[in-house]
Amino acid sequence: MGTLPGRRLVLLLPTVLGVVTLVFAFLHLLPGDPVEIMLGDWAAPADAVALRRDLGLDRPLAAQYVRFVGHAARGDFGQSIAFRAPVARVIADRYPATVELAIAALLLAVGGAVPLGVLAAVWRGRALDRIVRLASLAGVCLPSFWLGPVLMFAFAMRLDWLPVSGRGGLAHLVLPAATLALGMGGILVRLTRASVLAALGEDYVRTARAKGAPRWRAVGVHALRNALVPVVTVLGLQAGALLAGAVITETIFAWPGIGRLVVQAIQARDYPLVQGCVLVIGVTYVAINTAADVLVRAIDPRLAEPA
Amino acid sequence: MAPPPGGLVVAFDSDPRSLDPRFQTDANGARLGDLLHVALTRADPTGRRVPELARSWTMEDRRTVVFHLRPDFRFADGTAVTAADVKATYDAVRDPALASPKRTALAALSVIDTPDATTVVMHLTDASASFLDATGLGILPAARAREADDVTTGAGPFRLVSVVRGDRLVLAPNPYYPDGPPRLDPLVIRIVPDETVRVLELRRGGIHLLEDAPEPEMVTWLAAAPTLVVRRAPGTSFVYLALNLRDPRLADRRVREAIALAVDRDGLVRYVLGGAARPATGLLAPEHWAYAPAPARRHDPRRARRLLARAGYPSRGRGTPRFRLVYKTSAQPLRRRLAEAVQADLANVGIAVDVRVYEWGTLYADVRSGNFEMASLAWVGVTDPDLYYLAFHSTMVPPAGYNRGAYVSRVTDRLTSAGRRTFDPLERRTIYARVQRRLAHDVPIVPLWWEDRIAVHTRRLRGFEPSPSGDLRSLATARLD
Amino acid sequence: MTSRLGVVAGVAGLIVIALAGAAAPWLAPTGPYTPDLGARLGAPGGAHLLGQDTLGRDVLARVLYGTRISLGVATAAVGLSLAAGTVLGCVAGYAGGWVDEALTRVIDVLLAFPGLLLAIALAAVRGPSLPNVVLALSVLGWTGYARLARAAVMSLREREFVAAARALGARPVRIVARHLLPLAGPVLLVQATFGMAGAMVAEGSLSFLGVGAPPPLPSWGAMIDEGRPFLLVAPHLVVFPGLALALAVLALQLLGDGLRDLLDVRLDGAGRMTPS
Repeated sequence: MGTLPGRRLVLLLPTVLGVVTLVFAFLHLLPGDPVEIMLGDWAAPADAVALRRDLGLDRPLAAQYVRFVGHAARGDFGQSIAFRAPVARVIADRYPATVELAIAALLLAVGGAVPLGVLAAVWRGRALDRIVRLASLAGVCLPSFWLGPVLMFAFAMRLDWLPVSGRGGLAHLVLPAATLALGMGGILVRLTRASVLAALGEDYVRTARAKGAPRWRAVGVHALRNALVPVVTVLGLQAGALLAGAVITETIFAWPGIGRLVVQAIQARDYPLVQGCVLVIGVTYVAINTAADVLVRAIDPRLAEPA
Repeated sequence: MAPPPGGLVVAFDSDPRSLDPRFQTDANGARLGDLLHVALTRADPTGRRVPELARSWTMEDRRTVVFHLRPDFRFADGTAVTAADVKATYDAVRDPALASPKRTALAALSVIDTPDATTVVMHLTDASASFLDATGLGILPAARAREADDVTTGAGPFRLVSVVRGDRLVLAPNPYYPDGPPRLDPLVIRIVPDETVRVLELRRGGIHLLEDAPEPEMVTWLAAAPTLVVRRAPGTSFVYLALNLRDPRLADRRVREAIALAVDRDGLVRYVLGGAARPATGLLAPEHWAYAPAPARRHDPRRARRLLARAGYPSRGRGTPRFRLVYKTSAQPLRRRLAEAVQADLANVGIAVDVRVYEWGTLYADVRSGNFEMASLAWVGVTDPDLYYLAFHSTMVPPAGYNRGAYVSRVTDRLTSAGRRTFDPLERRTIYARVQRRLAHDVPIVPLWWEDRIAVHTRRLRGFEPSPSGDLRSLATARLD
Repeated sequence: MTSRLGVVAGVAGLIVIALAGAAAPWLAPTGPYTPDLGARLGAPGGAHLLGQDTLGRDVLARVLYGTRISLGVATAAVGLSLAAGTVLGCVAGYAGGWVDEALTRVIDVLLAFPGLLLAIALAAVRGPSLPNVVLALSVLGWTGYARLARAAVMSLREREFVAAARALGARPVRIVARHLLPLAGPVLLVQATFGMAGAMVAEGSLSFLGVGAPPPLPSWGAMIDEGRPFLLVAPHLVVFPGLALALAVLALQLLGDGLRDLLDVRLDGAGRMTPS
């Protein structure tokens, strides 16, 4: 079992390289020149040429690509064109904010959704089940770009309970994390409920109960353990959606994260910065999925056996 | 977060790109650079150059300018600003190796002499009436003028303490500032991209000063708050519709005039901008020394229809346009709204408009390469009227200059060439008055308006004056009660 | 709620929404592009039931016409994704070997690629437009259908009836189309229903970020974006388009849930497509 994550990591390298290549290719297909955008109206063609040479933008694309991959492998992402600072530093400034937001949203979603899903399954058909199902449906149906402004309007503007935006203490985190968590939470509640229901019907749970295990034990240990497998898997798959959500949430709540940064970077044609951001995002996604995989195997050892 | 006592919090909508005068090209960078650095001269609201580091200057002849420096300016590290620093900064910018975007502006400069610590002599290769426009360059310490990375040490009223990208910049008074160090300590610039948030934070006291005007309804809402005061000042930013005269339809003056008549400029200013602009007749605002009044074109769709018919585009009945035009705009909300309003106005005279929204990089590339029919653009920070040469002379089609619509007129060519070789202010004024009349007749662009400057700030802020160009210089002398 | 009731409610909701879009010219008091500058931000009520927007245009008219954009984009994106995904998935599942391996790799890369950036980049190149949105959603959307189709074909490939058909000399295309695909139908149908809901939200998200529907098109997402600065003085600009979108998604979600239970289908994903 110990070698499996390692082997997976090796297999993931081509995925990451594929992502990097894809980004590089489409970035250089975009019209617009970072140098002209940066220099603006008041520059002479000669200066633009000099700056382009300075940035290595005058070399053939293939050479630029090889250089980029080679440097990236050594952890050198180059110099951001727009920020005039190392890409690694610009990303390091912003990445923690997104991680903080994502973790908060994840905790909120999982912490709220799993217990609710279990309770709804155990009390299937009762009032609580109905309420939870309705709420989860709402969570799935309300788009974050609508929920964000509405939450902001209600809790920050009208009630004045929470800060409107920006990054700061815990209070600043509540609204953006809730906006990001609600959609995911809705999905998780439905998934947890369905998996617990399915597990409750399985033979081994029925056996455990027949052997005299108390109901809470049957649910808490056997059913929940099984139900967590699809939940963790979907969480991994949702990691990608989290970034799209982060771009929207960061835009609404002025959260200084990497989602907004990468949008700005595309607009400025800041090639090195976009490449660095996408690389970090891709690696994060792959890492989360690997972690989810390991976690799933830890929860359910039967899955550790290679098929 | 509670603002620090005695400190002022100002909101910006985006990060300034560079605070180094050698590299700064964006508006927010300029607003902050102004607080960190001093230049030989600066522009006053009428576009004239006024003393700053240079206490005075004289033209020895048409190719020699002598600047006499004030001896009392010091950088934030305590060293005095001398002629050597001025020379080093200018020479660094002119060095191709540094690839400074300001290099072209100094093309007329040949040699700089520094006979003593407070005298700078600039020798020009060619007589240029607009040369002083290039002396707004912030001065860096000579020892650091050639560093490749950003240098923010300057002799301005404030010094930079810390930067958290995307979040905030903290400035503190430069203790050596000769006119007395500022009383605002610290001066915090918060980066708040969202307008709603800026407005709310201002109302709640998390922000003290907002210089990017919110939507008119929000200004009204803010004005109702007893703790806030709304300040309005006429501005010089000129918003216009660029027309591409390479297009056979737009090459016809009657079509261009019809478009100018069809756009309900006054209605847009009154309702959509909440009155926060002055309908424009041309590039230069009325307070500029070279401004000449031109008759304003009133909204007149009937005359527009007649002109179009006369130009060979007869009415083809309801639902069938005379012709279609592509209108390119940036994604900025106000510009997008303007596009939709212009679209409705032109539909009303039988011109169908397809709106294409691009982010700035693409729009800019398209406009420069002549790949547009109509586009909404703006001129910000116009000081010397030589811009008329750069923007309307027939040789100034990009990449040489800014004549993006490829407008050609022998009269305009002759006048704008004469303007840049004439030094007598009165004579120049006469020349540019004729240029303005000519352009008002030829309609190579459709002037829309000059945007007002609107600042909203706490009543506790005293001594702040909104400036037409949007600079924050008066914060050097302002205080917080 | 029983699954049958869910299906009925979902279908009924969709019909109402589609009719509202089709009948917009008769239901709306004015056109969706008719400005009335003097009545900017007019409150709901009177002749303008849902109020007026930043140029004084009728919000009800824009919400109704917005139905066409939302439904149209979602249908096109799901149709394209479904077609492409099914074909590729069937080919990979039936062929196996390196073809299958290659497809799996491509899907891995696409899943790790922040797809929102693709839409933003497309908008940067060609300006925002609805075809761009459909393209961006399809380039990433097909992977879900491909995985389902592939799994279904692989699990059925070795069954007796397939072997029998093969022995009778049937060509692979025919075997897949006649014997395997119909069995994968229910799972694809359910996924497509959820996919529609996802595509509607995705179109709204892209328009909200300014890289979706170009002005003056009344996309619900674009309307919300436009109304955001006025939240304090004119919340109706944000509230109504959001409600319209939520109702449309709800109808599809109910339909999808109901179909899934009725057809007894299990999906591995969460049944939601987001622009990522």
